[in-house]
Order: sequence, then structure tokens, then C-alpha cells
Amino acid sequence: MYHLLKGFHEYLTRKEEFSVIIVGLDRAGKTTLLEKIKTLYNDVPGLTPDKIVPTVGQNMGKISLPSTILKFWDLGGQKGIRSIWPRYYDDCHAVVYVIDAEDRERLGEGWEVFDSVLSNPQILNVPLLLLANKQDSPQSLSVDEIRRDYEEWFQNKIENSRRTYEYDSSPDMHHRRERIASLDVMGVSALEGTGVRAAIDWIFIRVQNSRS
Amino acid sequence: MGLTFSSILDTLSSLTRWTKEKDVRILMLGLDSAGKTTILYRLQIGEVVSTIPTIGFNVETVQYKNIKFQVWDLGGQSSIRPYWRCYFPNTSAIIYVIDSSDTARLQTSRSELLTMLSEEELNGVPLLVFCNKQDAEGALKPEKISEELGLAGGEKGREWSVRGSCALKGEGLEEGLDWLVNAIQKK
Repeated sequence: MYHLLKGFHEYLTRKEEFSVIIVGLDRAGKTTLLEKIKTLYNDVPGLTPDKIVPTVGQNMGKISLPSTILKFWDLGGQKGIRSIWPRYYDDCHAVVYVIDAEDRERLGEGWEVFDSVLSNPQILNVPLLLLANKQDSPQSLSVDEIRRDYEEWFQNKIENSRRTYEYDSSPDMHHRRERIASLDVMGVSALEGTGVRAAIDWIFIRVQNSRS
Repeated sequence: MGLTFSSILDTLSSLTRWTKEKDVRILMLGLDSAGKTTILYRLQIGEVVSTIPTIGFNVETVQYKNIKFQVWDLGGQSSIRPYWRCYFPNTSAIIYVIDSSDTARLQTSRSELLTMLSEEELNGVPLLVFCNKQDAEGALKPEKISEELGLAGGEKGREWSVRGSCALKGEGLEEGLDWLVNAIQKK
């Protein structure tokens, strides 16, 4: 009887685990974001921004939400180590791409990398969230500006490649257009925490939906 | 019933672990002459001591912030590496030290590390890799060493971080320890 009740209790309080990976260029603020998420949702505060150095390796975090546990993997973003990202794609339930909205000079590089994430076949059906970080800075581009900047970058890319071969009509391109059209962009400040809860809510809802 | 009771007891004792400040055991491993003993004493007394190759182990308690670590620095010579595993139970974290300028033995260092990580007793234990001797000529950067170690993707169950350090100057050690404390507390 005891075991029956215990099993029943476990069934009711059971939590499903989802994996979320956080990627983006170096200095975009991925680790700061993860530590902020941990500070907001857990009892034990995460590292403060002054303690964070460029990541070579993986940082992990776990937060508990209603009937759900979200596990985060924050992966290093330096050029030489981006090649490790695809090794995490197969087991992830959501991808967060962080872009530094303040660093205009590196936006192009950021989009180049984002484009390769967006079009990767392994995660074509996985929810993808684009976070425009550093919204605390007055120099930062807003969410709308970031979206427009990406769309312009993408148009340019297509036009450049059109001159060389028939690029536009491929089925792959169709998928990408769809994905870009339905792409969600949100603004956050990993430093101050603004927008972080909204982003977590987005992930929470999306992983729930993609399960069913 | 007895089983459940003991698991509750386990949970309770792990909850009180941090308030009691005890039994945070950290193993410091790596090939011989990587700089483990120098790091240990740099952390403990903040000075560079002259060391001789460790046969057996050095164990010191390092007080960092409000946490007391028991750091075990095990000798790294090939003849004594097989004994590392005797120390694996109840380990909270591993610090693995690599001589960044010793490119000839990087593969040996890698295979010792991967063998160790495959031990069941170390499942999920956070790993901090110090790419030591960053000041030495020909020292490889942490990113390069990380790539050579090939931890990415294969070690999804634990947190790991590869960092540069220079034990002689004391660079990179505290930042590494901050990261480690954060990783241990979360578990």
C-alpha cells in the first residue's frame, strides 16, 4: 500500500526534463545569461558577471518549473570552438541564440553563424529563439532593428548567391524562409535580468508544445 | 521502507553539507611536472614553494571564500597513476592540470584524463582543466588544448571548463576556483 501511494505521488509530481542549448558568438553574453537565469530561478545564486571569463567548455544549469525541468547547456562561442555545437544538437529540445545587439561591427559575423544554426538539418524542427542581448545599453539595437538587420543581411546573401546559381527555388530555401518568417526575437539584458523571465516562459511553452 | 528512510536521510545530509562545511573533497590530478603541487600551495598559502616530484600525495585544506576544500594532490608519474582510482569515491570535483608547453605528452595526458572520466564513481563530477604554464614558450592556448582533449559532446553529464593558468604568477587560479565552487554548489 505504501509503495502504491508512493508511486502515485511520484507519478503526480513527476517532472519532465528538457534540454536547451545556448549558443552565439563569443562575448555575446551567454554565460552571463545562464548565470542570471540561475540567480532568478534557484536558491543558490549564479556567478556574478565580474567572475565570468570566456568559456572554453560547457556550463550547465537546471531550473525547475511546473511539471518541467529545463536543463541548459551554455557552450563556448569563440571561433575555434564553435564546431562543438552540432554535437549537442541531437539531444536538445530548444536552441537559444544570443546576439550582442550593441556590437554593430560583429553583427555580420553573428548572422553568418546564426544562419548556419538556423539551417542545420539536425535542429530544423526544434524551437529556436533569437535573443538580442545588452538591451541595458543605450547604443544597442532594439528588437525590431535586430530583426530587420537580419532580414536585410539574409536578402543580401540571397541576391549575392543568385548571381552564381539557382539558389532561391531549392526546397531548402523554402524551409529557411518559413523558419525566418516564424522566428521569434526577444530583447534581454543578461546583466540586469530584464526580459529573462519572458524568454524562459517562451522556452517553457515551446518545449511543452513540441512534445505533443 | 528502510531504503526510503535511508534515501531521505541522504537527502537531508546533503542539504546540511554546506552549512556544516565539511567533506568537500577535490582531487587534483595530471601528469608529473604539470604543476599540481605548485598550484596547491599557491592556493593554500599564496606563495610559490619549490617542490620535488610527489610520490604519494599532498593533502591540504584550502579555505576559499566560506568553503573549506580538502585538496588532494596525487603524484603524476606513470608508475603511480593507477593508484588515482583509490581516491575516486566521495569526490566533489576534479582539477586536472596540464603542462601547456608539453605538447609531446598531450596525448598521454588526454588518455589518462578520458580513462579517469569513464569511471563510474566520477559520473557527473565537475571537471576543471588548468592549462598551466601559459607563460612558457610554445604553450598551447586553452582553446587548442580543449580541442585536443575532445571533451565536447562526449561529456554532457558534467560541467567542464578548460582554462589557462600560470601557477608561478598565480594567474587564472582564483577565477577557476570561483567557477568550480559555483559548479559544486549547484549539484
